[in-house]
Amino acid sequence: MIPNKGSEASLIKKITSSIMIFILCFFMLFALTGCLGAREINDLEIVIGMGVDKDEDTGNILLTAQVVKKDTAGRTSGDASGGGDGKAFWNVSSTGDSIFDAVRQVTHKTGNRLFISHNQAVIFGNDIAQEGLQEYIDFFLRAHEMRPTALILVAEDRASDILDAKPETEKFPAMNIAKLVDTYGFTSHFYEVNMKDFASCLMSPTTAPLVPLVSIVKEKDCMDIYVSGMVAFKKGKMIGKLNHDEVRGLLWVLGKVKSGVLIVPSPDEQGKAVLEIVRVKSKVTPEIKDGSIVMHIKIKEESSLSEQTTAENLATDKAFEKIQEATAEVIRQEIMAAIDKSRELNADIFGFGEMLHKKYSSKWKTLKDNWDEIYPTIELDIDVETKIIKTDLLKKPVSQSEEEK
Amino acid sequence: MFRYIFKKIGYLSLINKHMLQNTKPGKNNNKPISPDLEKNLEVIKGILHSSDLAVHEFNFGHDRRFKGALIFIDNLADKKEIHKNILQPLMYDALLLPMDMDFTQIDTIWKSLISMTDNVKVTLLGDLLDSLLAGAAILLIDGSKEALAIKAGKRDARSIEEPGTEAVVRGPREGFIENVNVNIALLRRKIKDTDLCVEKYVIGEKSKTDVYIVYLRSVANPKLIEEIRTRLNRIKIEAILESGYIEQFIEDSPYSVFPTVSNSEKPDKVAAKILEGRAAILVDGTPFVLVVPMVFIESFQSVEDYYARPFFASAIRIIRFLSYIISTLGPAIYVALTVFHQELIPTQLLISIAEGRERVPFPAILEAFLMLFAFDLLREAGVRLPKPVGQTVGIVGALVLGEASVQAGLISPIMVIVVSATAIASFAVPAQTDSGTILRYIYLALAGIAGGFGVIMGLLATLMHLASLRSFGTPYLWPVSPLNLSGIKDVFIRMPLWTMSKRPKAISRNSSDSCNQDPGLMPAPFKKGSNDSK
Repeated sequence: MIPNKGSEASLIKKITSSIMIFILCFFMLFALTGCLGAREINDLEIVIGMGVDKDEDTGNILLTAQVVKKDTAGRTSGDASGGGDGKAFWNVSSTGDSIFDAVRQVTHKTGNRLFISHNQAVIFGNDIAQEGLQEYIDFFLRAHEMRPTALILVAEDRASDILDAKPETEKFPAMNIAKLVDTYGFTSHFYEVNMKDFASCLMSPTTAPLVPLVSIVKEKDCMDIYVSGMVAFKKGKMIGKLNHDEVRGLLWVLGKVKSGVLIVPSPDEQGKAVLEIVRVKSKVTPEIKDGSIVMHIKIKEESSLSEQTTAENLATDKAFEKIQEATAEVIRQEIMAAIDKSRELNADIFGFGEMLHKKYSSKWKTLKDNWDEIYPTIELDIDVETKIIKTDLLKKPVSQSEEEK
Repeated sequence: MFRYIFKKIGYLSLINKHMLQNTKPGKNNNKPISPDLEKNLEVIKGILHSSDLAVHEFNFGHDRRFKGALIFIDNLADKKEIHKNILQPLMYDALLLPMDMDFTQIDTIWKSLISMTDNVKVTLLGDLLDSLLAGAAILLIDGSKEALAIKAGKRDARSIEEPGTEAVVRGPREGFIENVNVNIALLRRKIKDTDLCVEKYVIGEKSKTDVYIVYLRSVANPKLIEEIRTRLNRIKIEAILESGYIEQFIEDSPYSVFPTVSNSEKPDKVAAKILEGRAAILVDGTPFVLVVPMVFIESFQSVEDYYARPFFASAIRIIRFLSYIISTLGPAIYVALTVFHQELIPTQLLISIAEGRERVPFPAILEAFLMLFAFDLLREAGVRLPKPVGQTVGIVGALVLGEASVQAGLISPIMVIVVSATAIASFAVPAQTDSGTILRYIYLALAGIAGGFGVIMGLLATLMHLASLRSFGTPYLWPVSPLNLSGIKDVFIRMPLWTMSKRPKAISRNSSDSCNQDPGLMPAPFKKGSNDSK
């Protein structure tokens, strides 16, 4: 089937025109790119931290978003001369009836939409926390851009002040907070709580969620962020504060102590032995005996001797035994402090309720309803086993040997 | 949509073919040679209107009673040879022969006088002209219906050098040259085996190019050789100027961006492939030798992989795979991430990218297209220009496009890094550089339109396409798909040579004992008291 010469020209014309139409359609595709969720980085305001406060005048929500200033963010602090005050971030705030409303209201100031995928931390002001987080947390869990791993914190006073801090080494206060909370393992004086953890605790009928408490410490001209402990929530409302030791008492029970420093008197009572926690294992077994609830807490701790302030040689079996006993006592005291606090607040920060629920699911139905009355009556059986496993680089302290005297 | 357009294009080529057939001149060269010398010369001169046609008429024999003529193309023939080995014997040595010898018989002259090899007796005018144009000297004798074509051509050949496209650190430095006879000799020197078969074809109505198929008869699949013969015989074309012409007429999927015929300039590489059961197609006039069938994995293998020890070779091969991924997907992934999926970029990196892009007025996709275009432009300009000027292009490109465009705020610094990484990576897999360049633009367009989703769709389409390809009956993705466990030893890593004792199953003749070495050749130190060494 070869056409004769007359129709060849028209056929070629037809083919070229169809190819042209195809090419035209192909390039028109590029004009449609905006429809499919494309957004240039230039059009985003990258949010790395958010603060939620109550507006003092109107009672509305005051949202503070820490936004990366793109023109100065990448530069080192030395040559930020061109960028105004040289700050790498911009704390933009707006008010609104709800959080989402406030997030959209911000665009009046930024001109661009807030991009909250990289939000590191959400800080709630003290007044909001006392009022209850329940109604404010919904947006942060529902918004598809928001990460459930973003940290949640409560400010000692106003959240916007925390975001205004001037940390020395970090360019962004929000990043600094994330770093502070992330490295809690060195002391185990508080622990990391993110949106997802907090939400799952909120859903439990008995467990009281804890959230790290941050405050500002002013020293000369720098304003540092400081994590001063944790606050406990009950039914979404802030009810009290736990100090560092109380939080570690809680973590001993939960087996979440990563590391930390324990100070015990040395056996000769001349100074101190300082231990670093190496490994912790804990086991909590609930038991209902004759109508009363007993929690058997068994803790196994291993530590290393990291510092000593006496001249006595502590690296002996005898000394070790004494130190281990003293350590167990310190740990027991910390646990008791946490338990006393939780009884005082009547908040199940340990999650004992959930443990009972798992083991005694049938009896739980009756316990659940008057948990508040039952909780302070729970008995505890604490068993702490400690062991020093190493003395680091020194065996004997740096002192004159006794034999040579 | 594509199929529709391809159909139309196919139709176009059909019309062209039709036109070509119409304009073809009638063939009238099949006349026999006439016994009349004068008449023959007249006819030949009539056909060849060239001033470089040399016709030397002479009388020879006792009493000079025989008339003869030697015709050759001045520029093709070696005059010294002609003088010494054709004319001298005819003029002088003929006198030493008996008086009654009949020199009108070409056979007599051939057997007793001509001291040259490679002679052919021709009876048809067409064959005579073909030999003449191939560089032969034609001896015509008055009274004979036959002529003798004596190969007395000279041929300028470049010396054997290291191939420019396939340099090696370790391995032979010799490369093929334009003279196909030298090339076959190079292969013969690698494989001194009676099984090595060389088949000659002459393709091209006007170019009459010599094309050779070289293969190992006992190893190559007979079906493969038969298929190559059929495809070569199909080619009816005026001229073959390079092996690329042949490639485009015999390949399996002409509409695919992926090559299904491999080429090489290195005799050791081609010899290795012939030993695996493949067939090489050598074309006169080009150092590029075609090898079929080709599988995709071959692009990532280099001869040096087998000369180096397996650890380094395997590491380098993994780097080659990575670099192919970077070169095709680099800009696409960057655009998809920065335009659609900013949440996937680590926060600190996102801040740096945002800072770099702050002054850039273009969308990221346009920025990427501009940079890639500039890179391809520089590459093309660098290749075409003479070497000293080419360097200037490189400097200007690096300074203007790299430094200045970033400082002017036209391009973000990270885009420069992405495109340069892509550019460097694209040269690590030479066999797929062409396909990679096309795919890079396609993926980039898809990333700009639909982000990661578009890239994944493009990858899926590419994978499906790759899986559907065949090269002379061999699946293109062999030995990965269909999976072949003994073949996979040489895919992602290169196993030690002593473990690879079997020839590729999908390529070589289908016999189960197709081994290229004894099994159990793993080297081990000599043990005392062991009888194995005997």
